[in-house]
Amino acid sequence: MKIKLWHFIILILGVIILLNVGMLVNSIEMLWLFLVLLFSDFKHANTQINISIIDYLISTFLIIIIPVFILIYNKQIKILQDKLTFIFAIMTLLLAVTIFAPLTASSNPNFQKDLRVTKLLTPFSTVQKLFLKKNEIKQENNLDYFILKKDEVIKKSFSQDFIFVNSVKTSGSDVIYIQKNKEIKIEKDKILFVEGKPLIESKTFILGTDQYGRDILSRLIYGTRLSLFIGLGAVIVSFFIGIILGFIAGYAGGFFDSLLNRFTEMFLAFPILFLIIFIIAMFDSSVFSIILVLGASGWMSLFKIVRAEVIKLKTKDFFITAKLIGLSNYKLLTKEVLPNIISPVVVNLVFLYGNVILAEAALSFLGLGAGNNYPSWGGMIQAGQSYITIAWWMIVFPGLMLFITLLTANELGRKIEHHFNSRIII
Amino acid sequence: MNKEIILSLTKRLVTSIVVLLLMLSFLFVLLRYSPGDPTQKFISPKLSPKLALKVKESFGLDKPVLKQYQNFLVNLSTGDLGISYTYREPVISVIGKYLPFTAIFSLLSFIIQISLGLFLALYSIKRKGSWIDNFIKKFSLSVYALPSFVIGVLLVYLFSWKLNLFPSSGLKSFDHQSFSFFGQLGDYASHLILPLITLSLGGIAVFYKYLRDNLDETFNAHFVMNLRSYGVTEKEIIKKHVIPNSIGPMISVAGVELGILLSGALITEVIFGLPGMGRLAINAILGRDYPLIIGCTFVAGVLIILSNLIADIVRAKLDKRILKEMIN
Amino acid sequence: MNIYNFKDYYMKKNLLIIPVLLVLIIIFPSCSKKSSHVSNQVIIGIDSDIESLNPLFSFSGYENNISELLYLKLVQSDWDDENGTLIYEPMLAKSWQWNSDSSAITFYLRDDVNWSDGKKVTAEDVVFSFDVYSHENIQSKLYDTFDNFFLHRSKHIILDETFEIKDPYTLTIKFKKNSIPSFIDVDLPIIPKHIYGKLDRKKFTTLEKEITPVTNGPFNFTKWDKNQAIILTANKNSFLYNPGNIQKIIFKIVPDYNSRLTQLKKGEIDLMEDVRTDDLPSLKSLDFIQISPLPEREYDYIGWNNIDPKVFKKKKKFVPNKLFGDPLVRKALTFAVNRQEIVDEYLGDYGQVAFGPVAPIFKTSFSDLNSLVFSLDSAKFYLAKAGWNDTDRDGILDKNGIKFSFPFYITAGNPRREFASTLLKNNLKSIGININVKKMDLQILIPKLFAKEIDAWMLGWVVGIPLDLYTFWHSSSEASQLNFTSYKNDMVDKYLEKYKKVKSKKLKSKLAKKIQALIHKDQPVTFLYWIQNLIAYNKRIQNVKITPLEPIHYSWNWSVNK
Repeated sequence: MKIKLWHFIILILGVIILLNVGMLVNSIEMLWLFLVLLFSDFKHANTQINISIIDYLISTFLIIIIPVFILIYNKQIKILQDKLTFIFAIMTLLLAVTIFAPLTASSNPNFQKDLRVTKLLTPFSTVQKLFLKKNEIKQENNLDYFILKKDEVIKKSFSQDFIFVNSVKTSGSDVIYIQKNKEIKIEKDKILFVEGKPLIESKTFILGTDQYGRDILSRLIYGTRLSLFIGLGAVIVSFFIGIILGFIAGYAGGFFDSLLNRFTEMFLAFPILFLIIFIIAMFDSSVFSIILVLGASGWMSLFKIVRAEVIKLKTKDFFITAKLIGLSNYKLLTKEVLPNIISPVVVNLVFLYGNVILAEAALSFLGLGAGNNYPSWGGMIQAGQSYITIAWWMIVFPGLMLFITLLTANELGRKIEHHFNSRIII
Repeated sequence: MNKEIILSLTKRLVTSIVVLLLMLSFLFVLLRYSPGDPTQKFISPKLSPKLALKVKESFGLDKPVLKQYQNFLVNLSTGDLGISYTYREPVISVIGKYLPFTAIFSLLSFIIQISLGLFLALYSIKRKGSWIDNFIKKFSLSVYALPSFVIGVLLVYLFSWKLNLFPSSGLKSFDHQSFSFFGQLGDYASHLILPLITLSLGGIAVFYKYLRDNLDETFNAHFVMNLRSYGVTEKEIIKKHVIPNSIGPMISVAGVELGILLSGALITEVIFGLPGMGRLAINAILGRDYPLIIGCTFVAGVLIILSNLIADIVRAKLDKRILKEMIN
Repeated sequence: MNIYNFKDYYMKKNLLIIPVLLVLIIIFPSCSKKSSHVSNQVIIGIDSDIESLNPLFSFSGYENNISELLYLKLVQSDWDDENGTLIYEPMLAKSWQWNSDSSAITFYLRDDVNWSDGKKVTAEDVVFSFDVYSHENIQSKLYDTFDNFFLHRSKHIILDETFEIKDPYTLTIKFKKNSIPSFIDVDLPIIPKHIYGKLDRKKFTTLEKEITPVTNGPFNFTKWDKNQAIILTANKNSFLYNPGNIQKIIFKIVPDYNSRLTQLKKGEIDLMEDVRTDDLPSLKSLDFIQISPLPEREYDYIGWNNIDPKVFKKKKKFVPNKLFGDPLVRKALTFAVNRQEIVDEYLGDYGQVAFGPVAPIFKTSFSDLNSLVFSLDSAKFYLAKAGWNDTDRDGILDKNGIKFSFPFYITAGNPRREFASTLLKNNLKSIGININVKKMDLQILIPKLFAKEIDAWMLGWVVGIPLDLYTFWHSSSEASQLNFTSYKNDMVDKYLEKYKKVKSKKLKSKLAKKIQALIHKDQPVTFLYWIQNLIAYNKRIQNVKITPLEPIHYSWNWSVNK
């Protein structure tokens, strides 16, 4: 039996669901409590809603809906019936991990606490979590119920419920915990006891931690999200700039055409990395400015493709007729021009996607990335570079991730190119 | 025919100048409206507003932007790119110190890329379908997907920190001059080998891929079959027919690559601390050295346009049809 | 041999050349590799190239170091560690005499000092140096710092009124009335008149570039390889010359920190600065490396804008900042910063928590200050006291409808501040304060700070020697532009003015203590930590003297073990 793509997707999603049953249940409960709050206390419900809650709810919703959808419709969607190849497997994994980041990441990417214990841990290091007593929170109204549930579901970047320790000793009325050669006493009534013993859990950092004691795996997952997002955003920007300018140049001809051509040549003659660095360094480096700048530096070949096509079509009969019957420019572009050049454009976009991701990583590597607020591959590599002699894992894993993604993007581009070419020949 | 060539070259020249002018004006406007103050660096923490004004005046930054632009254009037409703020030297002479290294370094890398790419492509196509062909194919794809900064950092880690074979940065030893001629050459070589690998690997993979695909196509073309049936030896077919017919499309790729290389191999220069155009430009940007930024971009732009032109000329020489295309 | 075969042969050879070249290249280094331990020279690894060798334009630390090796000053400053004060020793001037009311000083110059082109160094050169340093067209690093001298309106020193040359080696400098002159006013490297005097002052900055340095210091300029190395050779004619000491100092430019470290470990360089504490274990395991911290005179702080930037911009009025105008809030914020953790995890044993602007090197004790030890509960308590509560329970504090969230600026390219701000962000988040850390180039940030546009930021100061508090904490915007937070406390102002006037060291110390206590109470900024710059060097260098002034100090006294 051949393993098809949809089998693999179901498998991956199944694993994610199985690993997160408890959390999914809590998340659904949270959704219910939210709906209750929405009807009983709209004002507070409004202030409670924020991006991370939406993120969690969407993940929960999708992880349940998608498998059902695939099981029902897998016959109708052709691509799902394709044979599972290496590229498909990698892409599925990347996408699944990224989309369901709230479920797949074991902690908030910025979570850090007790650096003395957690700083620069090697992969598969284990530390102990010593739980502290929580203040009883009174639960009176719907808002209290919701907030309690929310705190349970959403992974935050801080926590005062526990401390990271290397080991714990109990002696008499005090508990002594050890944090890297340092013994610290703590009163018994501050600690959470379960069945007469302090509650201790162990926590393993599969890919180790960075210089701030943050979990590399979680950062990598969220970093993937950011990198893929920036790539997608920039490609969309390039797409629109290229298409619109190309159409104008080809359609208007004359002065506009040569002006836009010179403009394009100017961009082609710019050392592009300089231009990007120049703008980022001079102005601002937020996620959006990076998307814009990267997008604005990759549209030139799209422009050429579209322009050439429009010039070719302009003299054709059906195009002139379409114009005569009063088709708007927008319709002309989408109905007549784009369908003809879809294959080179798509191939171009896929390769561009790879380039953009690479450029973003290179920018972060030079210290001009989206900053420390969000984890990104390039940023992680740059941070890892200065710790390379003491912590190889900080640089190897993000480097590997970048490598795999670029490999996939290039392969995908080649596959699509091949696919279109063979169809054109037939 | 010659007349036409001259005509087309003049046309190219004129558009190139227009493009360069456009580029510099674009840059100029961006610079003057960007935040940040280039004079800041030259003023001691106990700032005196008076001195700030003085410095601004000496940089010509106190005049209205339009006036500044006018001055800039006038100076440009006399070949004067201004005086670098940080180096306090004419921009041309600053660039003159960095350009030779970049030129040699990038040409070396370019030669390595082209020749190794060609060599591997021929080697692999002759053994088409064998495991070694497949291996090189897969390997080149992987190399292509490896970002140069990851390669560079890993090479430094491995070869200079762990194995202690090569120096990790710089272009030459400080006591370089005390060596014999061959010692000096060896000194350069040992400093440049890791940077050259870092810079060239990706390009080798690209050229390999292009060439191999093209070679494959030409090998299966009808005229090659015909030649074979006439009994021309395989060697001769490759030398006389297959290679010339396959490298045509690659030349414009090579032109673009050369342009990018000549404008400065920023990442490689940063990792290995090499004194090239890339680092000069980025330092100028970070230091807000306006004249130097413009100068670097100008030189890089000229080099990019030139290498594209050279690529087109080479192509035209190989294939007369392209010349006609160029003229039209 | 037909033509094709020849071509074939040629081509093969061409292709062969590359592998052969590669092999050669790999073999070569093994023959050229040598120990850098050439006797009698020291190689200092530095992170970026210098921009000028001329002391007029030596803005950066290493530029200063190098120009001090090349050019003598009248007097040489040194650090008295016991008392925490500067002392001055004879250098170009072999002795001096203040007049009775300290308004003029007479220097007796050495008569055995020559410029490297053979000309004598005379009082003319000294006068010329002051002339050039203070000239308005030259924009030297010291322009507009000669407040104790008789000045033109352009801040150029009035030469006739100030200097009096008795003979080529005797010079009197007269200072302005009511000024308090000291050696700091004459602490500048002397440059040759016969070289720079000829230059047109309007074009001075570009013309001086083309001149090879003519120097008078313990070292001569030998070579400057752009972006590679600067080489100085001992000046055999200098009175500081000692054949047993080092003959050469090489400043080798190695931009990458890790490369510098590796080269130090391999013995390719002998000394480097700014070693990270994370790398200490690996350095300490090498027995030939000595690690010496430079005593603390540098600190990082978080600035909280005490005034409202928008109102200030519109009406030039000082209105308390909506978030940080209240000293209680600033105190709470200080409680919320885990300074000890930052010190422990980033600076290790080479730093300490800071309480105020007076550096520990000045030996003034502040044990009586309440240290505001990290406590999130105290932070919450004081915030609640100031009226900040999470009334709508969205996790962020609010007061009168304003949320406690703000952008926080740090400078790009400073890992220590990035470290501190990352921890800060998380601590503040857990007490309901949302900050958005933004990296900004120093060159963009500083003008914004002067314009008082920014609400909160993290920066550092290197404390000047001698201690200068006035420019940082006085409320008058004229005299103290560096009071970025617009801190205003009348008592502090009064003490600061007094501090400027008194001369007695004891009184000064007492006043500094009072000022620091008041600032600590108001917390206009959160003082983070004092930083020790870690110097690592090869033990073969002898006589290295580590003072708070410079790591490379008195290096003409260095010698090397063979």
